[in-house]
This record gives sequence, C-alpha cells and structure tokens, in this order.
Amino acid sequence: MLIELKDVNKTYFGAQPLHVLKGINLEIERGEFVSIMGASGSGKSTLLNILGILDNYDSGEYRINGKLIWDLTEAKAAEYRNKMIGFIFQSYNLIGFKTAVENVELPLFYQGVSRHKRHDMAMEYIERLGLKDWSGHYPNEMSGGQKQRVAIARALVTKPDIILADEPTGALDSKTSVEIMELLKELNERDKLTIIVVTHESGVANYTNRIIHIKDGIIGEIEENQAHNSVRFGSDGTLK
Amino acid sequence: MKFDIDRYKEIIDTLSRNRSRTLLTGFGIFWGIFMLLLMLGGGDGLKKILNQNFEGFTSNAVIVGAAPTSKPYGGFKRDRTWYLDTKDIEAIKTLVPETDIVTMMDADWGGTMTYKDNSYNGIVKGLTYEYAGVESPQLLYGRWINEVDCSQERKVCVIGKQVWSNLFPDGEDPTGEYINVKGSYFQVIGVDNRNGGININGQPDQSVVIPYPLMDKMNNRGGRFDIICMTLKEGADSDVSQYKVRGLLSRRHSIAPDDKPAIMMLDTQKIFKIVDNLFKGVNILVILVGLGTLLAGAIGVSNIMMVTVKERTTEIGIRRAIGATPKMILSQIITESIGLTILAGMFGILFAVFILWGAGNIVSSLPDINNPVSFQIGFWTGIAVLMLLVVLGVLAGLAPALRAMNIKPVDAMRDE
Repeated sequence: MLIELKDVNKTYFGAQPLHVLKGINLEIERGEFVSIMGASGSGKSTLLNILGILDNYDSGEYRINGKLIWDLTEAKAAEYRNKMIGFIFQSYNLIGFKTAVENVELPLFYQGVSRHKRHDMAMEYIERLGLKDWSGHYPNEMSGGQKQRVAIARALVTKPDIILADEPTGALDSKTSVEIMELLKELNERDKLTIIVVTHESGVANYTNRIIHIKDGIIGEIEENQAHNSVRFGSDGTLK
Repeated sequence: MKFDIDRYKEIIDTLSRNRSRTLLTGFGIFWGIFMLLLMLGGGDGLKKILNQNFEGFTSNAVIVGAAPTSKPYGGFKRDRTWYLDTKDIEAIKTLVPETDIVTMMDADWGGTMTYKDNSYNGIVKGLTYEYAGVESPQLLYGRWINEVDCSQERKVCVIGKQVWSNLFPDGEDPTGEYINVKGSYFQVIGVDNRNGGININGQPDQSVVIPYPLMDKMNNRGGRFDIICMTLKEGADSDVSQYKVRGLLSRRHSIAPDDKPAIMMLDTQKIFKIVDNLFKGVNILVILVGLGTLLAGAIGVSNIMMVTVKERTTEIGIRRAIGATPKMILSQIITESIGLTILAGMFGILFAVFILWGAGNIVSSLPDINNPVSFQIGFWTGIAVLMLLVVLGVLAGLAPALRAMNIKPVDAMRDE
C-alpha cells in the first residue's frame, strides 16, 4: 500500500477552532489514478497539504510506503517532499526569472545532482512533454498549457512515488484542460505513476479511475470509475 | 551543506535577473563605501598637503629668539633690548651636550635685489652652512652655502624660487650670474625650490641667503643677531635641553631666570605633535562618519531585503515545496546579501579610487603644490574594507534570511 491514512484529524486553532479533517481513512495503491473531489471548505486542500507533507496533522497515522509521516523536522520533511512527491499546482508555481529547463532542474539542484546530469535529466523530461523548443524560454513567454507542462516536467523529474496535482486545470481553458488531463492519464497508464488529483470539477475527476468524495472533513462516497462515465460531463471529452 | 559552483551560480542568477532590485539594494552600500573611502583618502591627502609645509624642516629643532625683557633684573630695568651673539653659540655647543647643530640666523626684511633691469624686494638672510641641517633646502640649480663660503666670506648667495622668477623671468639657470643685493654684488650659486610653508624669519621662496659673516659686516652688528636655531641629538629630551639653554642665556645676559618672554623658545617637535594629533582626530571623525554611512547603507540593504523576502514568499515557498530545506534558504539569502554587498562595495571602492585619483591629479597640478600629492587609499585599507563588507553582508542578510527561513511552503501557496 503506497498511501495509508488512519483516522487523521486536523484542527485549525484560530479565533474559532475549526475542525477541518474529522478522521480521514484512506488507502491508495501504487499506480492508481485517483481524484479527491469536494466543494471549497470541504477540507480537500488541507488533506492535500497533509498528503504532500506541507502541513502537520493532529492525530492519526499517515504512512507513505509504510513510512510513518509524523513529527518530522523541516529538513526531513523537505527531503521527503523532494524524493517522494511531485507537485502540480493550479497556478503552475514556476519561478519567473528562471527558464523552463532551469525550473525543471530546481528539484534536482536541491538533491545535489551535478549540473550536467541535472540539465540532461531536465531536458529529457522537457522533451518528453513536447517543449523542446521552449526549454530556454521564461514562464511569462509561455501559454498556460505550456507552463503547466513545465510544472509537470518539474514534478516528474525526481521520479517521485506520488504526483499530487492541486486543481491542475484550474487556470486553463477547456481545450488545454483536456490536453493536460489526457497527459496525466497517459503518464498513469504508460509509466504506472501514482497520481492524485484534487479538484472540485466533476469533469476533471471523471478522468481518474477512482473518485474520492470529501465533504465536511469526512470521506464520503468512493466511486470506482474505470468506465469514466460517472458524470455526464466529460464522458465525451468535454470538461467545462 | 554543499559548496559547489552551482550554489554561487544560483545566487548570481537571482541577483542578475532581478536587476532593479539588486541595484536598489546595493546602492546604500555603494554610497557608504564610496563616502568612507573618499573621506579617508581625502583626509590623508590633506595631511600630505599640510605636511608639504613642513617639508625639509627637522622635527626636533628648537628656535631661540631674543626679545625685550619683561622684568627688571641684575640692575637693569625692564623692557631692555638684548641680542644674542656668537659667543652664545660657543657656550651652548660646549655646555649643552644635547644639542647637535647650533647656528645663528640674521634676516633683513625689505632688501632690494636687482639683476639687469629686473628688481625684487625680498628678504635677505644671513645663514651658515650648518643651517641646512635645520631646514634642508630643495635645490633646483647649483648648491647650498658651504663651510668655505662662510670662513672665506665669499660673496655668494642662494636665491629663493620667487626671487629667481622675478630676477630671471626667462627661467634660465642663474648660477654664476651676479645679482645686486642691497648695493653689493653676490654670485648666485643655487636656487632653492621650496614654497612658503612654515619658516623662520620669512618665506624661503622670497629670500636670498648669503653667508652670515658677510651679513654681519653689511649690517655692522658686530657679531650680534636675534635668533639661534639648533637641533637636538637623537633621543635628547627637548624640555631638559630647553631648560639648560634658557638657564645659560639668562646667566650670560643678566636676564631674570623666570623671565620667559625675554627668551622666546619654539619647539618644532611640539608643533609636529599638534598637527599629528589634529589628523588623528580628523581620521577618527572620518572613520566614525564613514562607518555610520556604511551602517546606514547596511540597514538599508537589510530593509530592502526584508521587503524582497516578503515579495518572494511564493518563490521561496515553491523552493521549499520542491525540496529546499530551511537551512538552504537561509544560506541562499545570506549568500545573496554577501554577494550583493561585495558587488556594490566593489563598485564603491572602484568609484572612490577613481575620484581620488582624479582629485590627486588636479591638486598636484596646482601651482602651490611642489610635489605630486596622492589621495589614494592604501592596499590594506582596501582589504580591510572588503572584510568589513563581508561582515556587513552577513549582518544585513541575517534578519531577512531568518524570516525567509520561517516561510512555510503552505504560506506560499496561500499567497497567490
């Protein structure tokens, strides 16, 4: 089992304590393509942060590959993120003053990979995502779809166990959204990558093989979606 | 922590791709260093210019002058005029062993000198060959008066720069020519190139120096004169020597032992010390003001870095999300700060050196300046300033770096 969550709780202590995750139990196997779907305020972002070791949880257990993720130092958390998780964000989160290939190189830089090897590896992924001619361009010279491809290349370059995509199509038009989702689907099918997509769009969720519904901090229905017909939307390839 | 070239390339990239930010941040340091070095170099140059006034003057000379008495003593009334004489010189030489050179000076203010149709009204000084040990001449042509000139009472003279340019307006070598000094002809044997500056009994550039015995005869003073110049031996205590000389002269001339105004004494060592202390004070002031400016610059850097760290929250968050540890972020910001301060500081040093070089050239070309003056800062000052820059860089980067270190990847995501 790649990912195991047992009774994970998380409360934000503000002026008004907010119990966001109320005992999450979830198992995801290696090679799965799943989506976590919920409305805003459902706790899906918090869950994503915990899955991505970006945030701590208050109680319960979270294991990746059997390794308990609990009480990590910042340095250890950074190392785990770097080695085990690749992030894809809604707003791409590329560094503006670095070219496409330099952005892809960055996680390898933090791994201490030598410059030439880093560059070669980054170029390999850039090429694989069809951006060979754009490797030397800065993010603001690229379209949204291209930027997201760079971000995907950056997520893939460290060969992580899990790809976490947070609303990967949130800032894209419908045509590009389809392209990106097809790409993720292909990566899952061909390279057997474990991909978790967090979204509130049912069309996006419909691309995945399993849809985990989260509502008010509790896992609701878990839909098997091998046929990709859970919603009328998206069944014909239309997302928005 | 790894120390590979990549880390520095990363810093250079960050700095060079955010030019306006880098420029803005670096300016404070640039200005601070520039001002500090400019003032240090300027102060040093001023000191050198002032020191040119003391050029050739021995730092351990004592000048003794005869002035009217201020007290009645030994049957004499007060306000008696007295003179020094050649026997005093002998007495000082034998009875005050601390003295090295003891020689007389007699001067005539307002002596007319002529050569062909040119005339000049200057100072005539009667000196001995030994006087060169008190105030060494800077000979442009010829030689200084020697022992034989004095003993054989040769009618020779050394003329000052201004006398030369007035009597020989074409600027030719005047040695061998005869000039008329107060009615008698003297052969010019040398030209003293010194400017004014501190002097005894008149500026050297406006003076004509003739052997003392001739001066004595010309003025008919019978071996009497007003000033004795002497130098002290290495290590001699100037206060003790002065005390002995004063005692000796007051006995020889029946002056009250406590009549200070009657025997004027001037210790050049004290003057040199005053000037030295003055410049020490100037230096301390310069360093204080300069360091203050620099510190203000560093605080400016820190301030702007603080703002940019806030502005870069997302970038730092991304870096953290994809695997940078807090330590890596800390060292990145501090290295950026050091890089920035050194870069800006280097420009400051370069600019200051350039300006000082120009100032040195301009000042050296002024007519009043005899020798070229360098305003330049020393090599080790430069190295010390560089060290200071590194320290300032670390200090300036510390607070922003700590803040950057505390940025959580989640904060960055929320910052959108």
